[in-house]
Amino acid sequence: MALQAIAFYLMAAVTLGSGLAVVSARNPVHSVLFLIAAFFSAAGLFVLLGAEFLAMLLVVVYVGAVAVLFLFVVMMLDVDFAELRGGFQRYLPVGLTVGALLLIELLLVLGGWKLAPEAAVLKLSSTPGNVSNTAAIGRLLYTDYIFLFQAAGLILLVAMIGAIVLTLRDRKTSRHQVIRVQNERAVADTLLMVDAGLGAGIKTLGIYRPLVETPPQGRDPVAATELGERRS
Amino acid sequence: MEVGITHYLVVSAILLVLGVFGIFLNRKNVIVILMSIELILLAVNLNFVAFSAALNDLAGQIMAMFVLTVAAAEAAIGLAIVVVYFRNRGSIQVEDVTLMKG
Amino acid sequence: MNWTTAIPEIFLSVAGLAILVFGVLRGRYSGPGNALVCSMLVLASFAVAAILIIGGNHGIGYNGQFTTDAFSSYAKLLILAGAALGLVLSLDYNRLEGLARFEFPVLVLLSTVGMMVMVSASSMMTLYLGLELQSLSLYVLAAFARDTLRSSEAGLKFFVLGALASGLLLYGISLVYGFSGTMDFNVLARSFADPAGVAPGLIVGVVFIVAGLAFKISAVPFHMWTPDVYEGAPTPVTGFFSTAPKVAAICLIVRLMGTPFGHLLASWQQLIVLVSIASMVLGSLAAIGQTNIKRLMAYSSIGHMGYALIGLAVGTAEGVRGVLIYMVTYVFMNAGTFACLIAMRRRGIALDKISDLSGLGRTDPMLAGWMTVFMFSMAGIPPMSGFFGKLYVFLAAVQAGMWTLAVIGVLTSVIGAYYYLRIIKVMYFDEGGEAFDRRPMSLSVVAAAAGLFTLFFFVFPAPFVGAAQAAARVLFG
Repeated sequence: MALQAIAFYLMAAVTLGSGLAVVSARNPVHSVLFLIAAFFSAAGLFVLLGAEFLAMLLVVVYVGAVAVLFLFVVMMLDVDFAELRGGFQRYLPVGLTVGALLLIELLLVLGGWKLAPEAAVLKLSSTPGNVSNTAAIGRLLYTDYIFLFQAAGLILLVAMIGAIVLTLRDRKTSRHQVIRVQNERAVADTLLMVDAGLGAGIKTLGIYRPLVETPPQGRDPVAATELGERRS
Repeated sequence: MEVGITHYLVVSAILLVLGVFGIFLNRKNVIVILMSIELILLAVNLNFVAFSAALNDLAGQIMAMFVLTVAAAEAAIGLAIVVVYFRNRGSIQVEDVTLMKG
Repeated sequence: MNWTTAIPEIFLSVAGLAILVFGVLRGRYSGPGNALVCSMLVLASFAVAAILIIGGNHGIGYNGQFTTDAFSSYAKLLILAGAALGLVLSLDYNRLEGLARFEFPVLVLLSTVGMMVMVSASSMMTLYLGLELQSLSLYVLAAFARDTLRSSEAGLKFFVLGALASGLLLYGISLVYGFSGTMDFNVLARSFADPAGVAPGLIVGVVFIVAGLAFKISAVPFHMWTPDVYEGAPTPVTGFFSTAPKVAAICLIVRLMGTPFGHLLASWQQLIVLVSIASMVLGSLAAIGQTNIKRLMAYSSIGHMGYALIGLAVGTAEGVRGVLIYMVTYVFMNAGTFACLIAMRRRGIALDKISDLSGLGRTDPMLAGWMTVFMFSMAGIPPMSGFFGKLYVFLAAVQAGMWTLAVIGVLTSVIGAYYYLRIIKVMYFDEGGEAFDRRPMSLSVVAAAAGLFTLFFFVFPAPFVGAAQAAARVLFG
């Protein structure tokens, strides 16, 4: 029991510490890393509560997908984050007051928690004793909760459509593979055989390479002298 | 000291307050706001799992799973909107909004 | 398991997937034609879904998570009507603005599925998933004009505040679950049967849930996002936002307050009364100074939600009947107004200033006429439908002895009438600009259909009142 208590306090402390760091770190990359730490230790708390499957899910979904997505966006957008921190000090007193009030209120409410007398009768899906957590969730998810399971699938579909609609761009300059054109290509269309005589440059054959443009004659004197100085 | 259900609820309440606090403090930085929202959802999940364990009822865990799913979808759409906003504005500052004001 | 209760939703989801695949296979870049065909297909599947709803059986399915009854059928038909009108409004606007992409109708369809799930929810889990399916689609639609700063900013604001509201709603759900031990509406109602034994945690949970839902109907004090999002989003999307999702959210609140929290009437009544009064007052006062007509419509919709909430605050079957009739009149007059607003274009540029309407009475008497009908209706002037919507909710308030609510409602309607009538004045008496561009067929059709409905509602109110009565009886028997 003591081991469990130590594990709880350790992981709770890490969760809350990293949670605080997420909202107060100067660098958003650090925020994301602390978010990952918070999720890892929260997964530990889930294990202590006997929800192993959700703990694994938390690690896989959050650390594997969501946090990486955050990291990707933070690094992709070239943002001056120092500038965004303005107002942090200004809002601090108000934020602290609101936060403290909310916390005290919630603690008072939560402190009064007790098992509702009818809860044993009312409960929807009691935990079976003889199977593992994962198997028990699986049994319920695909039977009693099939409708919600499908609805969750639709939500993920909306997220996919939304992300593509908003961010996918077809640039005029980007090149796409057109398989039909590729397959219909014949050697004669693309390859030109020339008989180049001895000593004949490509110019004589009518093929021009893009050459480095020769600078125009009448340049301004300042630039010319600068160029000359650099040369010397 | 015995670790009871209330301990988990307290951790969850503090996490919730941290999330709300983060939104208050980082009003300008949308990405940190999104992370604060993720913290709020984590607090909710912790609540659901703790209650599920206390009530010996799996419905709470299943709800937590759906919340996880939705949170992932929300993060994807939120970040997509942030990217679109950044492309148009060149910044992710939400506060210096001069085009529209309430 | 009675799975047949969800046939309309299942049909719509499958149709949505099929239309998505169809759109992708026809090619992303096959031009606006693809979007048009997909929109037509979505409208057709809305029609089929409506038939399935009318012919569908009532009952509880999926382990008590999903209920269909007279109330849900009424709400779903109204939602489908609102979504269909919104989609028709978007057809030509999207083409003209270069937004004609087939994902648009698919997202409208998926959000409609979410709304239908919301109004049928009889478990907190269904409620949450339906709400998120709707909200996530709406976030994307708000930012759909992704190359304009205003639209993406609207999407961002809507998203951040919406996600925060969902977070608070969820925390409330978790408290309700923890303190009662269940998430099923009917079981919850039983556990609340003795109001003396209700834990304070449950009340806090209910407050969190009401706050989250008040955001979705943009009631004061959770209305801050509305003007910005209404102004920034593409106009047909704004029109869509102000019809179907509002119906879904308000019906969800009514069901929640009626079934699971019905025994807690004394606890939530004051809360709803306050929210209702604040919304009516703010909606009518803040709209006065606006110059942008989309912002004006935002404040107008805040006010209308306040009126609709009167019916809920009364807490009787008559009150809920009033809410349901109010929502019918609101959806049609709002869709009609947006049809007129979308027609405001000069030389291919969409306009959204109130002053741009000046002289419309001479340059386009038809459009100005319909706009006048809608403004009169919004102001609640008889014999337009808006008058009857207000009449039924005020009547319910008076019958229940809640005089203050009715009096404040009438007073704010009078103040509100000022800015609606100002628009009419601008159209007919101000020195005019040049005429608008020729408006597309689709807008004229929607304006005429909604206008005729609004104008002649007083001739045939009986079927609506009867259906609303039957629907309200289900919840507040």
